[in-house]
Amino acid sequence: MTLPLLDLVKTRTVLLDGAMGTELMARGLPQGTAPEAWNVDRPGLIKEIHGEYFAAGADVVLTNSFGGNVLKLAGHDLGDRTYELNLAAARLAREIAPAGRYVAGSMGPTGKFLKPQGDFTEEDFAAAYAEQARGLADGGADVLLVETQYDLREALAAVRGARSVSSLPVFVTMTFNSFPRGFFTLMGDTVARSAAELEKEGVGAVGANCTLNSEQMVGCVRALRETTALPIIAQANAGQPVIGQDGRVGYSQGLEDYVRFVPEIVRAGAGFVGGCCGTNPSFIRAMARKIREESS
Amino acid sequence: MIKDELLRNMSEAIVGGDRVAAVALASDAVRSGADLLEVIEKGFVTGLQKVGELWEQGDYFLPELISSAEAMKAAMAVLEPELARKKIEARSGGKVVIGTVEGDIHDIGKNLVASMLQAGGFEVFDLGADVKLERFVEKAEAVGARIICLSALLTTTMTNQKRLIGLLRDRGLRDKYKVLVGGAPASRKWADEIGADGYAENAVAAVKLVRTIAGRN
Repeated sequence: MTLPLLDLVKTRTVLLDGAMGTELMARGLPQGTAPEAWNVDRPGLIKEIHGEYFAAGADVVLTNSFGGNVLKLAGHDLGDRTYELNLAAARLAREIAPAGRYVAGSMGPTGKFLKPQGDFTEEDFAAAYAEQARGLADGGADVLLVETQYDLREALAAVRGARSVSSLPVFVTMTFNSFPRGFFTLMGDTVARSAAELEKEGVGAVGANCTLNSEQMVGCVRALRETTALPIIAQANAGQPVIGQDGRVGYSQGLEDYVRFVPEIVRAGAGFVGGCCGTNPSFIRAMARKIREESS
Repeated sequence: MIKDELLRNMSEAIVGGDRVAAVALASDAVRSGADLLEVIEKGFVTGLQKVGELWEQGDYFLPELISSAEAMKAAMAVLEPELARKKIEARSGGKVVIGTVEGDIHDIGKNLVASMLQAGGFEVFDLGADVKLERFVEKAEAVGARIICLSALLTTTMTNQKRLIGLLRDRGLRDKYKVLVGGAPASRKWADEIGADGYAENAVAAVKLVRTIAGRN
């Protein structure tokens, strides 16, 4: 029997996967197409990406459902297929997962604002996430990962939505910017307040992803560790997007520089470590090596 | 000469994002026959500039920025009809067409820039997200705008910022418009490479950039 993820993380560092969007684009995802549509239209390619991350050493892959909440899919006229696309997302990852590996159901932000900045209520958001969570849970996800959140209120609504339909553990990552006074979300939520409120809401793990590069992530994980005893998730970007000589988009932090900070991220207190924008299976392979060295 | 205290209150209403106070102060100014250009420039605009500073220092975040922009727009909605009635030419920033490029449905940053531009006195034509490139040109031509602002969040869709410039060139319209780019993957270097007229890192910087380009500062 496979150890539950929250038990595994007590015994060793758990490796998550890297970026999904860029892998899809490399396989020809047309501009403007919802990535989640490929869970049904091109399932073989989605499994291939998950398979590469597992082969690179990832313990956990995130499903291809980042934009799979009802509100985000509605932007692609796919709102009424939310359950189906998320069910397929989790099933594909489950099917390709080797024994003893895990599937985290990815739940990214709605891209909308709550009142008074926007038109939505917390109940609207909870419902939009609940429908997604139902599909991911039924498809066989081990945990639900509410990720890349820029508004603590939205993250809390997402957790409640997930809870309303599933008993799976819910993890949350917020995306913080680095300022002289510390780390803040777009809405001004601090690390301390985010961690405290999410812990109160009963999440299984909290963390940070996107925006920060791996060097900045070290400081952010330290700030998280100061405020919570929960397992910490860290998924840094590989720097900023840059346009290469050939006109193609790359990321400013190369692989070597990126993985250099992985041991520090672990020492700072992260139990779940993975990549975000600009990373790929090569990054995960190198991170797996670093983590092995660190623990041996 | 308007009392400094009154001007300070106007500024503070904007800094505090207090829409009700901003409207009340604007209405008082209209009723008392105050110099409305002074009210705008030394009162409300001063507040908006302070808000920009607080944002840049990391003291203000998106909610504060939006509240302040809304308070500013509410005050201007009171003052503008009065200016028009008195045939006073406010220092209008001119017309700006803005949108997120096709293939990209992300609009948080674009909305913020649009809102701040509007608060800053520009007439903003917001085309929304996932906007066909032809529509930017059609709209700018139709309304007589001279500035086009393009947002993109994805590294794949930012190439559409470059395509728009090509489109303008093909139609012989390149020199007629200033094209400004923004969004997470964009940078000054990117703007230079694609031949755009400017790049802004955030909404506050975007307003400064547009003011400069429009020759207001």
